[in-house]
Amino acid sequence: MGPPLKPGAPTDLELMERIQASDADALSQLYDRYNGILKALILRVIHNEAEADDLLQEIFMEIWNQAKNFSAQKGKPLGWMVTLARRRAIDGLRKKQAYARAEERLQNETEQQPDAWVHNATEEEIALSDARTLIRKVISGLPPAQQQAIDLAFFRGMSQREIAAKTNTPLGTVKTRLELGLKKIYDGLKDLRDEL
Amino acid sequence: MNFERFQNQSRLYVIGALEPEEVEEFERAREKFGKKAEDFITKCYALHEAFALSLRPAKSSDAIKERLMAMVKAKKES
Repeated sequence: MGPPLKPGAPTDLELMERIQASDADALSQLYDRYNGILKALILRVIHNEAEADDLLQEIFMEIWNQAKNFSAQKGKPLGWMVTLARRRAIDGLRKKQAYARAEERLQNETEQQPDAWVHNATEEEIALSDARTLIRKVISGLPPAQQQAIDLAFFRGMSQREIAAKTNTPLGTVKTRLELGLKKIYDGLKDLRDEL
Repeated sequence: MNFERFQNQSRLYVIGALEPEEVEEFERAREKFGKKAEDFITKCYALHEAFALSLRPAKSSDAIKERLMAMVKAKKES
């Protein structure tokens, strides 16, 4: 699932198979289709536009280099790319020792304006994908504390202990928030899961 | 660990939120439940895709794609 495909456009899986056969045009098409989603994910982790652009380029290069490791048996191409991008973004954040700076930026942003995970969709976005709207609805329906715990775990790569320390919350409460929140999202996306 | 608990732990596992001491127990349960466990974990990875799609897409500069495709071309020719 992602942007709706034009009639006759190759599926994600077809593009991945062509990339596995070293077809650069297929990578170009995959980039056009998903650079916005992956860049948003990277930005959510590292909060720096220039670093996000550099990392986006590195990630697509890794998609090219590692395409042979993709297996359709284990999931969809977008899921594989997101997993790879998230890992690289979190690794990049730590390796570049930008964590403190990102935290500071995040803190500043939080003070200026709450850094909401999901935003209201524009009309254009709603037209693009009903599925995306449903995902946002499910996530925004979670209690803020559950949203925050999942946000810190997924987008910042924090452990339960780190989340507990950051939010001054008992470890057991963090675990419960994560479990309940993830289950609600998982169950809420049941109808989409085959598509995802 | 029963399967319901394994399911809860799986959702934490795929986002990397299991603590080290929980991973060992999780891996033992994973082995015990076999294919059923692997199938469930695969389904949980759809959460990654959902979280990415929950974000508003960000624009990147055209130069990034140009650099990327130049690197790919160079790699193919090397």
